[in-house]
Order: sequence, then structure tokens, then C-alpha cells
Amino acid sequence: MATDSDMTGPRDSDRTFRLPWLRRYINLAGPLVMIISLSVAMLILQPRFFEIDNLMIILQDAAIYMVLGMAMTLVITGKGIDLSIGAVAVLSGITMALLIKDAGWNVYLALAVALLVGLACGIVNGLVITQLHVPDLLATLAMDQIYRGIVLVMAAGTVLARFPEPIPFLGRGRIGDVFPTAAIVGLIALCVGFLIYHRTWLGRYAIAIGANRESAVLTGINVNRQKVFHYALMGFCAAIAGILLTGRLNAIQSTAAAGFALHTIAAVVVGGTLLFGGRGTMFGTLIGVLLLSMVTNALVILRFQFFWQLVAAGVIIIASIGFYSYLQRGSNRDDRSDE
Amino acid sequence: MQPDIVLSMSGINKSFGGLRALIDVELNLRANEILAIVGDNGAGKTTLIKVLTGVYLADSGMIEVDGEATQIRSRRDSLAAGIAAVYQDLGLVDTLPAPHNVFLGDEPIRRVAGLPFIDNEKMRRDAVRILRERVGVELPDIHEPTRNFSGGQRQAVAIARAVHRTDLKILVMDEPTASLGPEETRNTLALINSVRERGTPIILISHNLDHVFEVADRILVMRGGRNVGVVNAKDATRHDVLGLIVGSGHHAAAA
Repeated sequence: MATDSDMTGPRDSDRTFRLPWLRRYINLAGPLVMIISLSVAMLILQPRFFEIDNLMIILQDAAIYMVLGMAMTLVITGKGIDLSIGAVAVLSGITMALLIKDAGWNVYLALAVALLVGLACGIVNGLVITQLHVPDLLATLAMDQIYRGIVLVMAAGTVLARFPEPIPFLGRGRIGDVFPTAAIVGLIALCVGFLIYHRTWLGRYAIAIGANRESAVLTGINVNRQKVFHYALMGFCAAIAGILLTGRLNAIQSTAAAGFALHTIAAVVVGGTLLFGGRGTMFGTLIGVLLLSMVTNALVILRFQFFWQLVAAGVIIIASIGFYSYLQRGSNRDDRSDE
Repeated sequence: MQPDIVLSMSGINKSFGGLRALIDVELNLRANEILAIVGDNGAGKTTLIKVLTGVYLADSGMIEVDGEATQIRSRRDSLAAGIAAVYQDLGLVDTLPAPHNVFLGDEPIRRVAGLPFIDNEKMRRDAVRILRERVGVELPDIHEPTRNFSGGQRQAVAIARAVHRTDLKILVMDEPTASLGPEETRNTLALINSVRERGTPIILISHNLDHVFEVADRILVMRGGRNVGVVNAKDATRHDVLGLIVGSGHHAAAA
């Protein structure tokens, strides 16, 4: 094999030893540093932050975004984005609520219908994007308006509240009086997402489509079909999020979940998934979700006025994505110099 | 027909509107050879290859693979006929490691509880074996995304993807050295030789006559959409081939 030595020159063997597997997780350095800084700051400012009760509240708040973040990681990896998830979540939640409160349906049947509504919304998003050739961003922004409009027609102004089990149990129940049920749902979703991402066609082809769409097509991957799958999963997960939200407040109204899309996208990108597709990480999404929930919680604990919380959340999202882009530029420069 | 002809294209015509891109082109690829196609820009090299790989449909003509008439109407037809191509940009998914690229779109599956999961472990083993046995390369770190590889290593992965199927008969390479530095070019030419030594005949498109003379057995020259001659690389000089490319009159004997 004459070419062996040519292929493994000194430069390449250096590279093997320079940084072991850890290098792949270098993008997590940003959010991890921020989590640690925040923890140190809270240790000084308000140690109550670390009480088990509060940590469990953080987990419970994070749960919804774990579910959303799982699917959003796949969507963004496939060079998509979904801005309609807040409206889809509320549409699913309101449908379920109306079926239970007005139509007197069995709660499990209503839950199933809610999931189907989310799935259907996701499929519609995917079809609008792939069949009508509307760019992902605009398509889902417009669909957000449409779904939100439908919700307002269905339940304008009313607050639907007090649902039968298992809805409150899912949203705010505790297992063994400690661990939030919702967090279990969120962690299961992320584990399923991890399997999808690394062990199935769905994840593999999302990476291929995001990184090199043309080559994905030449390989025989049906890009449109894959993209519809991504949005379908996203819609399904938005429905789960809507159910968890309904359960957490034990109430739902048509204006809820307004910040879902931005918060979820921020968590996913802060966690290290490339906003422009081709690379993502479920573990990073978990870290990103936890970071954002810790920040929100810290602001509450420090008694910032709610409106300041909005400002701070926006600033932190921009700061963390900016910091992340800065790191990314650095690593890209590194890659280029190696060529 | 001679028994050792793997691929025969004859009477191939292709027009784009009024432009006749290919005119009665004939091409014969022998077992175990490297056939280079050279010619100026617009001579029809790439169009011919796109007809062969199912990207374009020829207006008329016949394609025989192993002596059997073969209809090539799509990429899928071409792949099914055992023809694989490595394009100039390689078409790698650079955020994925080598094995994922080699088997992209053709992943080995292991069912767990009835659900189809990609067998990453088998994929890695097979990719290492294919790289070693069919391409002749050992990669330093099989887990690295290919964007961290050198140009030659990425080329090796792209070739491995093309040749990973056991039913592969013909490998087409479009300008493999066009965007490479001298060192990477040397590696890539060695790779091309190495793949041929392992039994796969190659059609090589290149602008660079030095590279062509270094690896090719025969050289097919195209000009203005026509096949204007085929020469044995051993017997011809650069001057002969250049003459055919620009059409200065003295034709070399067809090989």
C-alpha cells in the first residue's frame, strides 16, 4: 500500500494527539462556563438558589424546553427553523382543554387528539416549506400567525382551568414528592432525541441535508420527505409542550407560550447546534436549556421586576449566541489554516 | 465485441437547444484501465460524464455495460449499472466522520425491538476495511469529522464512498486534482492508481496533461463535442495530445 505513508503525514498524526475526544465538545465550554459563573454569583448573592426545592423548580421550568429543544435541534440541523411552536403548543393545549371542559371528552382521548393536532400542524409546516417552496423562516412565521388566529377564534379571551389528572400531574406533579414529572418527560424526550440523532436515518440525513444539501440529493436522500419528518416531530413535541404547560398552570389561554420559539432556538444554539445547519448536539441542547432556565430563575429569586426579566433574558440570549459565534469563528479559522 | 471491454458508449448525441454538446461520441473502457478524457472547456467532457452518470439523458446513442445494453435515465439507473462518480467538490458531509460519509444513504441497519437503527459499529469496521482494501489508505482517526482531514484524505473518503458497493464496475472521477496543492495532488494520483490496482477501471476527467500522462493508460481527446481521437499514453507525447485538443491538424493514430 504505497499511499499509506502519504495519507498519514506528520501533520495528521499531530492532530490525533493534540486533543482527544474532548475536542468535539469544545462548543459546550461557553454554556458550561456561564453556568459555573452564574452559580458562583448566586452563591454570593442568594444561596437560596441552591435549595433542592428551587433546583426542582428550575428543572420543571426547563422540562418544556427540553421537549421543544429536542425536536428543534433536529429541525435546525436540517437547515430549518420553526417559529410557530408557541402557537402550535397553545393550539394543541386549547383543543385538549375545550374537548375536556366543553365537550366532556375522556381526558386520555383529549390528550391523544392534542398530540395529533400538533403532529398535523407540523406536517402542514413541512408541506408549506417543501411543496410551496416558502423559506422555512417565513413559512413558520406566517403559520404562527395562522395557528394563533385559529386559537383566538376558538377560545378568545377565555381562560380554561382545572383539569382532571393526569394533566396537572404531568405539568406540575412530583415523583416521590421531589422530582418533577415534567422533567422526566423532558429527559426521556432528549434521550429519544439522542437516539434519533445518532442512530437513525432521520438524524443522519438531517446532518447531511444541513451540511451539504446537494450531496444529500445526489446520494439519493429524499430531502423534502426528511424535512416534513423534521417539522412533524417538531409539531408533535410542541403538542407535548402545550400539554405540559397546561398542566403546570392547570390552566391555558390563547395568548400563552408567546416566547417558546425564541427561547427554544436560543437554548439549542447556545448549546452548540449550528444555527445554519449541519451540526448539532442533544447533550448541548440539554445544557443550553438548563442555562436559560437557571438565568430566568435567578432573576426571579433576585426579585427583578418581571419586565426586567424580559430585558435580561433577551440580553443573555444575544450575549451567549454572540459569545458562541465568537468561539465558532475562532474554530473555523483554525480549520481553514489546516487545509 | 472484445471481451475485456467493460463499458461501451456509442453514437451518443446530446443537444441543449441549438447547441450540439455531444456529436456521435464513442467511448470504450477496458477492464482494469485508467481512461482519461481531455479537452478544452466546452469540449463535452463533463456532458459525456453526466450522460453516463444519469444526470443528463442523451438524445440518442447506446450504452453497454459488460456487453449488455443498459438504459441510463437517472442517477439511480447509473448506480444500479455499477457506475459510481466522484465529483470535483467530493460531495462529502464534512460535519460527519469518514464511515458516516462512506455509507451515507446506504447505512447498515440493525433492528432493535423492531425499530431500524443504524449499525454505527459495523459501519466503522466496514469503512476501515473498504479504505484499506479498495482504496489503499489508513486514516489516522476514523472518528474525526472529514472537515478536519487533508485534501487527499477527503478524496480517499469520497472514493471509498463511490467504491464501497461490491457491485461497482466503473469509477468516474471529475477533475480530482483541480483544486489541490502539489502534495495533495501527488497523494490523489497515487490513490487513483491504487484503486485501479485493486481492480476498478476508472474514467478520469482532467485539464492537467501532466497528471493525465502520469496515471492514464489511454487518453480520449474531445473537441467541439466530438471524440477526435484516442491515444495510448505510452506512445503519445504531450505535443500529440495538445495538437488534438486544439485541432492543429496532425492526428495521432487511434489506439
